[in-house]
Amino acid sequence: MRLLWSLIMLSAISSEIFAGPNETPPQGPPPKPFHLPATTDFSLPNGMQATLVPYGNVPKVAIRIFVGAGAIDESASQVWLSKLNAALMKEGTHTRSAEQVAREAADMGGQVEVDSGSDFTSVGGVVLSDFGPKFVALLADVLTNPALPESQLPRLKNDLLRQLSIDKSEPGSLARERFLKTLFPDHPYGRTFPSESELKGYAIADVRGFYQNNFSAIRTHLYVAGMLEGDLRQAIEAAFGSWPKGTAEADRPAQQVKARSFQFIDRPGAAQSNLLLGLPVAEPASADYITLDVMNSLLGGSFASRITSNIREQKGYTYSPYSQIGTRRHLAYWLQSADVTTNVTGPSLKEIFYEIDRLRKDPPGGDELKGIQNYLAGLFILRNTISPDAIIGQLHFVDSQGLDRSYLSTYVQKVMEVKPTDVQGMAETYLVPSKMTIVVVGDKSKIAEQIKPYE
Amino acid sequence: MPITYYKLPNGLRVILSPDSTAPTVVTAVYYRIGFRVEPRDRTGFAHLFEHMMFQGSQNLGKMEFIKLVQQNGGILNGSTRFDFTNYFELLPSNKLETALWAEADRMKGLAITDENLKNQQGVVSNEVKVNVLNQPYGGFPWLWMPQYANSNWYNSHNFYGELKDIEAATLTDVQAFFKTYYAPNNAALAIVGDFDPDQAKAMVEKYFAAIPSAKLPPTPDLTEPRQEHEKTATRKDPLANRPALAFSYHMPPRNSPEYFAMGLLDQMLVQGDDSLLYQELVKKHGFTGDISGAINELGNMFDYDGPMLWTASLYHDATVKPEQIMSVVDSVMDGLQSKPVEQSLVDRSITKMRSNLYDTLSQFGGFGRADLMACYALFDDDPAKINALEDDFRKVTPDLIERTSREYLRKTNRTVLLIEPGAAEAHKGESK
Repeated sequence: MRLLWSLIMLSAISSEIFAGPNETPPQGPPPKPFHLPATTDFSLPNGMQATLVPYGNVPKVAIRIFVGAGAIDESASQVWLSKLNAALMKEGTHTRSAEQVAREAADMGGQVEVDSGSDFTSVGGVVLSDFGPKFVALLADVLTNPALPESQLPRLKNDLLRQLSIDKSEPGSLARERFLKTLFPDHPYGRTFPSESELKGYAIADVRGFYQNNFSAIRTHLYVAGMLEGDLRQAIEAAFGSWPKGTAEADRPAQQVKARSFQFIDRPGAAQSNLLLGLPVAEPASADYITLDVMNSLLGGSFASRITSNIREQKGYTYSPYSQIGTRRHLAYWLQSADVTTNVTGPSLKEIFYEIDRLRKDPPGGDELKGIQNYLAGLFILRNTISPDAIIGQLHFVDSQGLDRSYLSTYVQKVMEVKPTDVQGMAETYLVPSKMTIVVVGDKSKIAEQIKPYE
Repeated sequence: MPITYYKLPNGLRVILSPDSTAPTVVTAVYYRIGFRVEPRDRTGFAHLFEHMMFQGSQNLGKMEFIKLVQQNGGILNGSTRFDFTNYFELLPSNKLETALWAEADRMKGLAITDENLKNQQGVVSNEVKVNVLNQPYGGFPWLWMPQYANSNWYNSHNFYGELKDIEAATLTDVQAFFKTYYAPNNAALAIVGDFDPDQAKAMVEKYFAAIPSAKLPPTPDLTEPRQEHEKTATRKDPLANRPALAFSYHMPPRNSPEYFAMGLLDQMLVQGDDSLLYQELVKKHGFTGDISGAINELGNMFDYDGPMLWTASLYHDATVKPEQIMSVVDSVMDGLQSKPVEQSLVDRSITKMRSNLYDTLSQFGGFGRADLMACYALFDDDPAKINALEDDFRKVTPDLIERTSREYLRKTNRTVLLIEPGAAEAHKGESK
């Protein structure tokens, strides 16, 4: 009874408020000019680069030091050695125990984070801004003077074995592993997981060798963003000035596979199928890259994009589908991902390819494209203001891809110059379905028939 | 931080906090309806309803709200939490009026169809699958722990929703829920960023003042009884490879001295690699690679109102027994309860907390500040509380830490949740 009463009341109120013609949204005044945060860049005699970005009024400062050392430097039998090295780098220096490092950082309101990725290991953290110079010195000790103690090796290897086991129980991780393995055969980018025995076999000499060969000033770029207090430049020069120059990153170009491949991983009883599909596209330094960025946002890379509108908002097949352009050093690939309910695995693939084909054939409408261009222009402001780490992320992307900093200052203008036929052209040139890798993780007994057309 | 706070005659709480660091603005509308008080036969409904707020209002059809924000260069989201449901947009600052108009449009009423509801039932079912049902450790511990640790239905039901309840929702349910809770006198509007307060006030008046208030239902009794016995629950997870363990304690009442002491205890015990439990469980015993913990796993220690848990969790190997882990936890807790901690430990915790508070308040282009101000407006009628928090933490003494540990980190105030890899069976919860 009560529900019915509420409904009637709502209708009454609604008709009152809803009287009259539809309103159009107010547009607001013209945008205020946006200026990228200014940077100060300098290098040390040993080749190390540094960038300072004063930004904001929150008394915090983010410091991130990127070293060109990561999975890319592992041989085929050294998978996750870079991760093990990163874990050991947190176990103290020749002058400070691990606990001392942790306490000193905590007294500055932060902690020392060491993370390894495909192309970089980063050492850094975010602390109260009055401790900026002191934090630089602490980070320098961790980065240039690590003890890499053998005593901690068994524990850290055991932690990585546990992490490996947990990673492999996640359907999304399994899908990504297979996708990268297919896209990058015979290259470190394609090797996501080590075997257990491989991981167990790593000795302290392997870790120390990895550190020795790959960590040095010439491969390093330090970024500081946030409230800058004290003489940070002096602190950086004092802390890193005597670090050996070392040798630059080796060139390890990856051959990417651009051919149709259907990969299936059976996961009996799975409530959903994890879909990944994609292929190599132009690298960030290419003239096509920004146009590809626009194309990706329109096709699947934003909430209002075509693929999301279709398989989420029209069909309800999935919660969080998205497409993206993934990058590694001097290369990029396009990737659409969706976790869909098992019984609509086939229909989801069909709709995704339908949207790809549609964009390859017909240019988008002018209004649709304009909406995406405005979105990217607004997003650009957010990406360069939302936090000190976001600002660092933008600069690191540009620098690590060998782009000129003008990439950032001209980005919005270039986005705005893209025409509907350019977007269609990008899809036609790059998103060739017959050259895509498709990965499906799901319950084979339920979806075998649905996925047949794609095998 | 500058804060202007006032109420419209219809009861809408308005908080303005200008900050011209970037030419952007956050518009956030918080409704005082969380998943605790959703209808008993409709678990997950508060969250399903949140999705319906994007499905159409008088002037914005399906997908049009999302497109409007996106085409104006912004991003948006909505979330359902214990004590509120929020909707926010982060836009270039010249689009504040656009956001206010759109939020007001959906506060006036929804215009949705059965088809929209069915579509979002599919989307939300997929959300539960991708985050819980198809993931190892899916609801660990954020969704599952409250179900074991709490005893009042409002705090202990499956708030993401049983799939059958999500599927059973009707358009009538949606309209009734809107009518009951989505009124201006049950909401707060926070604006943070680069704007002129006088202009903003005029726009808020223009778009929100005419929306009628509603008679709000009485708040049900949400209290939890004092826990007198330790509880242990075991859950089999067929998708997991390794066991996991979490433990929770009921929190002191919000804004009490003990509450702020628990904030520092959280810093002392689990935040950062200097913390006591990290040093013991990770470094010294090697039981796990990391321990994480929080007051309010779905937000932070400031953005909730009702009963809450402090929870810590970790993953371990089958060779390490839960008793070994809990015995180390017990010895750390005993240490806190037997004598006052050193002042230097309190000082370090205050430093960490202060640093963390700055992050929270500046999080996501000002959204973090809007979140706290809206919550303090809705729950305490005092958004300026954010400027007093630092002092509240500074008042905590070693003595208070000891007393708080004795009452709230009591073993009998604790629930332990064990995840065992293996085929699912009936989930059992046992008291001991």
